[in-house]
Amino acid sequence: MTDRQKDLFQKFAALASLLVLTAVFSAVSPAFFSVGNGMTVALQVTSIAYLGIGATCVIITGGIDLSVGAVLALSGVVAAMLVRAGLPVWASMSAGLTVGAVCGAINGLCVTWLRLPPFIATLGMMLVARGVALQITDAKAIGGLGEGFAELGNGSLWRIAKVGADGFPDVLFPGIPYPVLLMVVLAVAVAVLLGRTRLGRHLYAVGSNTEAARLSGVEVRGVTLFAYVLSGALAGLTGCVLMSRLVTAQPSEGLMYELDAIAAAVIGGTSLSGGVGSISGTLIGAFVIGILRNGLNMGGVSAFVQQIIIGLVILLTVWIDQMRHRR
Amino acid sequence: MAPAEQPAIPPLLRLAGIRKAFGTVQALDRVDLEVRAGEVHAVCGENGAGKSTLMKIMSGVYQPDAGTISFEGRALALHSPRAAEALGVVMIHQELNLIPHLTVAENIFLAREPRRGWFIDRKRLHADARRCLGRLGVAIDPQQPVRGLSVAQQQMVEIAKALSMNAKVLIMDEPTSSLTEAETGRLFEVIHELKRAGVGIVYISHRLDEMAGIVDRVTVLRDGLHIRTMDFADTTVDEIVSLMVGRSMDDKFPPRHRVPTGEVILSVRDLQVKDVFGPVSFELRRGEVLGFSGLIGAGRTELARAVFGADRVDGGSVSLCGRELAIRSPRDAIAHGIAYLSEDRKAQGLAIDMTVAQNITLAHMDAVCGRGGFIRFDQELATARRFIDTLGIRAFGPQQIARFLSGGNQQKVVIAKWLFREARVIFFDEPTRGIDVGAKYAIYQLLDQLAAQGIGVVLISSELPEILGLTDRVAVFHEGRLMRVLHTSETTQEEIMHYASGRNGAGAAGPLPHASHEPTAVSP
Repeated sequence: MTDRQKDLFQKFAALASLLVLTAVFSAVSPAFFSVGNGMTVALQVTSIAYLGIGATCVIITGGIDLSVGAVLALSGVVAAMLVRAGLPVWASMSAGLTVGAVCGAINGLCVTWLRLPPFIATLGMMLVARGVALQITDAKAIGGLGEGFAELGNGSLWRIAKVGADGFPDVLFPGIPYPVLLMVVLAVAVAVLLGRTRLGRHLYAVGSNTEAARLSGVEVRGVTLFAYVLSGALAGLTGCVLMSRLVTAQPSEGLMYELDAIAAAVIGGTSLSGGVGSISGTLIGAFVIGILRNGLNMGGVSAFVQQIIIGLVILLTVWIDQMRHRR
Repeated sequence: MAPAEQPAIPPLLRLAGIRKAFGTVQALDRVDLEVRAGEVHAVCGENGAGKSTLMKIMSGVYQPDAGTISFEGRALALHSPRAAEALGVVMIHQELNLIPHLTVAENIFLAREPRRGWFIDRKRLHADARRCLGRLGVAIDPQQPVRGLSVAQQQMVEIAKALSMNAKVLIMDEPTSSLTEAETGRLFEVIHELKRAGVGIVYISHRLDEMAGIVDRVTVLRDGLHIRTMDFADTTVDEIVSLMVGRSMDDKFPPRHRVPTGEVILSVRDLQVKDVFGPVSFELRRGEVLGFSGLIGAGRTELARAVFGADRVDGGSVSLCGRELAIRSPRDAIAHGIAYLSEDRKAQGLAIDMTVAQNITLAHMDAVCGRGGFIRFDQELATARRFIDTLGIRAFGPQQIARFLSGGNQQKVVIAKWLFREARVIFFDEPTRGIDVGAKYAIYQLLDQLAAQGIGVVLISSELPEILGLTDRVAVFHEGRLMRVLHTSETTQEEIMHYASGRNGAGAAGPLPHASHEPTAVSP
């Protein structure tokens, strides 16, 4: 294979495996391939996708963000507490988002100014954010958040239903859930940012060769900081959406989500050594994980075996990626 | 120990007909070297002459492609540094290889610790270390951590370590490069001591003047060839220098389009970085190529990086066209039109996973971005195509990943980056390193064209022919000091080497930290 073919192979390997998975699960379980289940999968994937988009930007700069799972819990919990305190939903969720962005900024400053390794900086944040979330809630779930809080996570656009003869609504089209809509908007926006703007180009340059970027006049610290702030803000958003879906704020929510996010990015071809990655790839990676979980669930495979399979898929895709780079 | 002069005794270590190639580069070609007991044998040569390769073969790091090695008359192969050390051939590296957190004694006996059962016998460890240090007559506490020692003391620890292995041949690579004069004197006393004890010493140094007191014989290498071995008493430093550089100049360089040099574009005053270089002052005129010559460690790269804002400076000023600049980062320097092409292209110049086009526009994204920072791809690709054509970059197109280009073409991409940025002053740091001959010629032509267009060009090069073939003036550095600025047309390789090795000409009153623009003031 030539290098070009190898590149194409890698690009389509993830997409192809996604299609193969869909085909296999559809054949095994007729309920899998339906509009309703499609929307369910999409909804389940949103959390991984939001976090994955942030993770992709951070990993492109050559860093890593382990704190997103904990940060999303803290953000969601803060938003819920503010709603309980009487603030309007939009203000509370904005505050939640801001908490995420601030956590991301602290991560970024630790990496750029204190020169801590990203692994350590965000590991610290992971523990701190989780600890704060547990401390301020006394480790208890916050319920009774009301209809307004639930709207973002459970509402949808273009839902078509008519009330049937039995008085229950008859759903003709489930509509596009807001979280899915948000995922599409975010993916397009960040993909444009990465592919078409100066900032995006600089993110790749920093990850590809930090010193060359610096010697070319790229504001390396600012660019790196941006990636962590974006990742933190997206974690904040994930927290708000997730807690809204559950209409409960759990301080222990989002455990190990950072690993799903990193896995999605890596399956999608993002290189952990930096400089390489795309949002489209990460979305495919997120869907590979989501469809695997959903399909295996429907097929009655136990949660333990699911973990084994997803672990093997990660190893396989990264091995393919290594093969591509070993020239 | 037997005196060295008796011919009946075979030399301690003898290398004959040693050849070693790396890829297509013949690093050593039929080199001979013998080390007798109780002698100091100096190995001299320019950067890249093959000295380090020879040392690494002697100490078992590299295996020769051809040739024989014999120790005390017996032919053998040195498969590893351990095998060499077992025989008593020990190398002391220029960058000392001690472990800072361990104590002096622990370092001396690292991996050879005296043991009692499963545990280290600390009493014997310290006693043995004290005895080794005592042999050198140095007062260092064996229980002290190495991290607190001065460089000179660390070197003594290295020597003590070598003695503890019963070293018979000691290879010293630039042992005095970071020592003060007093420390050097102390080191030489120790070397005399070792000579009396019958140790053979291979001594590599750029400081030819220092050798007079201690060196017995000298071997000169040039371009991987063994030029001559002679008794130090029968030669002079000048002869050694001329043997080191004495190669012919072929038509390796394009004719220079010399333009009358114009006004001063770049003026550097008293720039310094503590313990690295300076204070250094020099001027660069419009349309000239100024060479920076010197040996490794002369501070040329550091000076260029400091002007470019890549490293912090401890004083001095940089003015462009008469205006003093405040440069705190490469960003500032680039904004003023100063560019620096790093000597390490892959590590510092190119983003190798990015495309040719992306690399070319990286330093000047504004020019290809519309409102809101959106990249205008049509402009970017057109720009890249223009440079691919004008510089003759051999790539499939602007979208090719830089990683897959040859070294020469990668270098052209980096040059294109700075041309697109419309730099007014460009520092080229070893621009032809690792590039094949044809591509070198193209780079030389480019340097000439840039100068003719009025761009100030600084060429940092360790290859003297390059300096002589391309520059208008040459600034010669030695250990962070600017020794002289010479007019290229009126100087010789010997004269440059003379200043580069830290010697001052007869009649010259000490090193001149400030540049002299008068060639007549220079007479070696």
